[in-house]
Amino acid sequence: MVAEALAEVLEEFEAIEDRTQRFELLFDLADDVTELPTDEWSEGNRVKGCQSQAHIDVCIKDGLVHLRGGADARIVQGLMGLLSLGMNGQTVDVARQVTLDIVEATGLLNSLTPSRSNGFRTMYDMVMSTMGEA
Amino acid sequence: MVDPADFPILSRTVHGNQPLVYLDNAATTQKPAVVIDAMDAYYRHSNANVHRAVHALAGEATDAYEACRATLRTWFNAERVVLTSGTTEAINLVAHGWGRAVLNEGDAIVLTEMEHHSDIVPWQMLAKERGIEVRYVPVLPDMTLDMEAYEASLEGAKLVCVVHTSNVLGVRNPVERIIERAHAVGARVLLDAAQGAPHTRIDVTALGADFLAVSAHKMLGPTGIGCLTITQAAFDEMQPFMGGGDMIEHVSLEGSTYQSNEHKFEAGTPRIAEAVGWKVAMDYLAEVDLEAEHERLLGIARWTAEQLRSLGCTVYGRHGDHDSAVVSFLHPGLHAEDFAHLLDAAGFAVRTGHHCAQPLLHRLGIDSTVRASFYLYNTMAEAEAFIERVTHVLARFGGNA
Repeated sequence: MVAEALAEVLEEFEAIEDRTQRFELLFDLADDVTELPTDEWSEGNRVKGCQSQAHIDVCIKDGLVHLRGGADARIVQGLMGLLSLGMNGQTVDVARQVTLDIVEATGLLNSLTPSRSNGFRTMYDMVMSTMGEA
Repeated sequence: MVDPADFPILSRTVHGNQPLVYLDNAATTQKPAVVIDAMDAYYRHSNANVHRAVHALAGEATDAYEACRATLRTWFNAERVVLTSGTTEAINLVAHGWGRAVLNEGDAIVLTEMEHHSDIVPWQMLAKERGIEVRYVPVLPDMTLDMEAYEASLEGAKLVCVVHTSNVLGVRNPVERIIERAHAVGARVLLDAAQGAPHTRIDVTALGADFLAVSAHKMLGPTGIGCLTITQAAFDEMQPFMGGGDMIEHVSLEGSTYQSNEHKFEAGTPRIAEAVGWKVAMDYLAEVDLEAEHERLLGIARWTAEQLRSLGCTVYGRHGDHDSAVVSFLHPGLHAEDFAHLLDAAGFAVRTGHHCAQPLLHRLGIDSTVRASFYLYNTMAEAEAFIERVTHVLARFGGNA
């Protein structure tokens, strides 16, 4: 089972027909990201393959996932928000239930350029690999 | 203007029921039905390989392929026209075919900060291999080339490579003066006309351009084909780039001799259907009053730029009389990527990113722009609808940065 908050927001996306409104919801999710201050942005936490500046940091403390991030494009940070809803404060087992399909579930996938999709994939892989080491 | 009804794709909708407003013409233009039909007819009726067999279809295919070259030779008033896959391959052909034959360690070539990556990377590769010095002409704050720096960079230069019209700014460079000064020091000149050729008739002989690189798909033709025009003098200095069929005169196990005409640089089966399509696109363009169209499109671009400024956007470009109808812009409250996605959601196709010109954007102190670029089928009504959408997007999302 994915985290309830993520499941709920994916249902919200499904209920919206208007594409601009879907973007609005994705933009709102950017606020759900725990901020990674820009002075902590480094080459190590940079999301490679992303057209805009994006950084993501994940650590496991007391068995729970802590995800922080930041991006200059609102859409990218919104995608981080999606990941956060499914992972932040969750156990590693629950966080691992999040799949790449969540991007498609927003109904906006077709508008994501290959670089953007690659960027999300990189973001996802960075998080999953840290959890794999936990 | 041309009739938008000539372009089947322009009547489609996107994302459900949003009418398409196509403003990404600097990336590629749409194709009129006559081009699509000609390529379809070629495959249905005339498909064969060229320059080899004696059968009827081979003759028709050869005639059709060579008719494209003849049309381009007349259009550009060129001595030699080599058909390539596009502007990128045309520039690489100069680097490999001319550069490797002529340039040696210690020689200098001059590029500008305004170049597309396709007119930077091939030269950096060659420079590394051959120990050639690459000099870059800076772009000034008014987004024009620093002509004083250009003249100072010419001493001992063997080649000048310059973009005719910038794909980011729409700025048309003073190519006449650039060529005159380069020739005064004995340097050859390569013009990247991917953006210039679709908007204005270029006479390479009158201009004195030694090389001119062009892509068909940016001027109503198919993707996958372009050309390099070459003066006979520069042509005589070149060596073959790719080896293979069609480019040889005779092959034995001891060695080969090459064709003496353009085929020397067209190894392998060429882009025959694409040449057929491009010829028809050039015939279609020949019916258009490009000068009047240039003025009309520039008017739309100027109006659009003015509206964007009044909405708080920064516009990169100047839209002088000879510049092209490209409007690159940014808003402080909305990232370029977000902007483009929100425009697309309502059917407006624009480009975003670094436009394959990272050194230019670095000089401008930015890493991306939103770019709307207009072509023959675009209307003032589309520009008005575009501004209406931009206004809506900024009102709703413009405080997000």
